[in-house]
Amino acid sequence: MASSEKISVLARLWAKLIHSWMFIAFFVGFFVFWEWSVVLFDIPRYILTPPTLVVEKGWADIDRLLYYTYVTGLETVTGYVIAIVLALPLGLAIAFSSILRRTIYPFIVCVEMVPKIAFAPLFISWLGFGLLPKVIIVFLVCFFPIVLNAILAFNSLSEELSQFSRSTGAGAMRTFFKIRLPAATPQCFVGFKYGAINATVGAAIAEFIGSDEGLGFYIQIVTGNMRPDLAFAGIFFLTILGLALFGCVTLAERLLIPWHISVRRQKT
Amino acid sequence: MSHLIELSAVSKTFGTGADAVHAFGPVDLSIDDGEFFSLLGPSGCGKSTLLLMIGGLLEPSEGDITLAGRRVDGPQTDIGIMFQDNTLVPWRTVRGNVELQLEMRGMPPANHRDDVDALLRSVHLEDFSERFPYELSGGMQQRAAFCQAMVHGPRTMLLDEPLGKLDAMTREQIRTDLQNLWIQQRPTVAFVTHSIEEAIQLSNRVAVITPRPGTIEKIIPIDLPFPRDLDVKNSPEFTHYVRDTQEIFRSYGVI
Repeated sequence: MASSEKISVLARLWAKLIHSWMFIAFFVGFFVFWEWSVVLFDIPRYILTPPTLVVEKGWADIDRLLYYTYVTGLETVTGYVIAIVLALPLGLAIAFSSILRRTIYPFIVCVEMVPKIAFAPLFISWLGFGLLPKVIIVFLVCFFPIVLNAILAFNSLSEELSQFSRSTGAGAMRTFFKIRLPAATPQCFVGFKYGAINATVGAAIAEFIGSDEGLGFYIQIVTGNMRPDLAFAGIFFLTILGLALFGCVTLAERLLIPWHISVRRQKT
Repeated sequence: MSHLIELSAVSKTFGTGADAVHAFGPVDLSIDDGEFFSLLGPSGCGKSTLLLMIGGLLEPSEGDITLAGRRVDGPQTDIGIMFQDNTLVPWRTVRGNVELQLEMRGMPPANHRDDVDALLRSVHLEDFSERFPYELSGGMQQRAAFCQAMVHGPRTMLLDEPLGKLDAMTREQIRTDLQNLWIQQRPTVAFVTHSIEEAIQLSNRVAVITPRPGTIEKIIPIDLPFPRDLDVKNSPEFTHYVRDTQEIFRSYGVI
């Protein structure tokens, strides 16, 4: 039984591999092209290094890379979690309060138009090189998509479900937990995903502007030292960080709303 | 016989001033206890507006509505309501959706397990109770929605084109199920439709509603025996009712 299950898992993996062979071939082809073009076009090593060298030199500097991944990861996750914790209740409040909808909501829409990253130098000059300004910048780039999607989520209950709720005579709390909240969850996740995509970008840029550790700091320093190999290694870890965060959000989505169409499509 | 639903001089206007749209009325109407009453009319004639007003979910601009002797001045709870787009929630199974009606009312579902089972059986959904709505066909979804709307045993059912989105063959089957449920439990039903045949097949009386602003042109008592199966539908009397009703709509240029 167990062995046959193992075989079927392997078979499915193999089928997936076969199914996506074009993608894999393209991916491998891309790196082969990169590797060879450096030699072929005689590109100086201080401009571009072949991927094999990125792996080799990156491995040699792995301790620093891992530590900086931790530093940037901490900034990213802290800012992101704070953004969710503050944006959800605010979105909920705006969705249900006509006063807030006429005051804070237009303000948020206006601020959303401002490229938040433009505030980064200011925050660094106000708060210095430490963790706090980075967390604030990550928070800013995540907060708005989450709050705007939360408002949308809690405002878009169908007319039918709203009439149904009223006809049952259920109180506001019961209606919220049995109908409004689950109905709003998928749209909230749209905001969480946007936020997750923005989060690592915010952290990296904040570090470019002023920091003494982290992957953004690392990429900037090694680029200044004409070490594109290490810059690529830094970019690789930054990508992994972004993917990990996005993966966690997607996993949470699968666990919390397995019934939703977006999740069902991924499964099939 | 006591009049369960009574409307006197009810009308509804949306908006105010120059933008005001007179959607419905004025209408006087009595629907009897246990009656199946259809509101038949073209799209946009205000049939659904009337239904929402009876349920207390929309306030009439003028006039009074009483339900079981009490004036309607807010959402009514002794009703079962159903729309063209059903109120099944995607995060609950068929059973869960039926139980949602009970839970929203503070009735513990554990005490009503047999009722839910019986109801699902009566619409042939007993094997699908643990399925999610998206796993069901449109017809099965509407059957589940009937169960959701009836599980608390309401005396009044407000049905707003519940079969509107179904294909002709499924409609036919579900009409039969709906009729059987009504015959078993005898709630008062206000049924909105724009299908002449459907109205005549299901109803004790059919109110023909004119285009906007909707008013009741004529109330036609349908004097045919229940249950109304295919034989009844093929009878000359049935055809006669259909033709009479078509004449009314033709005189309005609707068809």
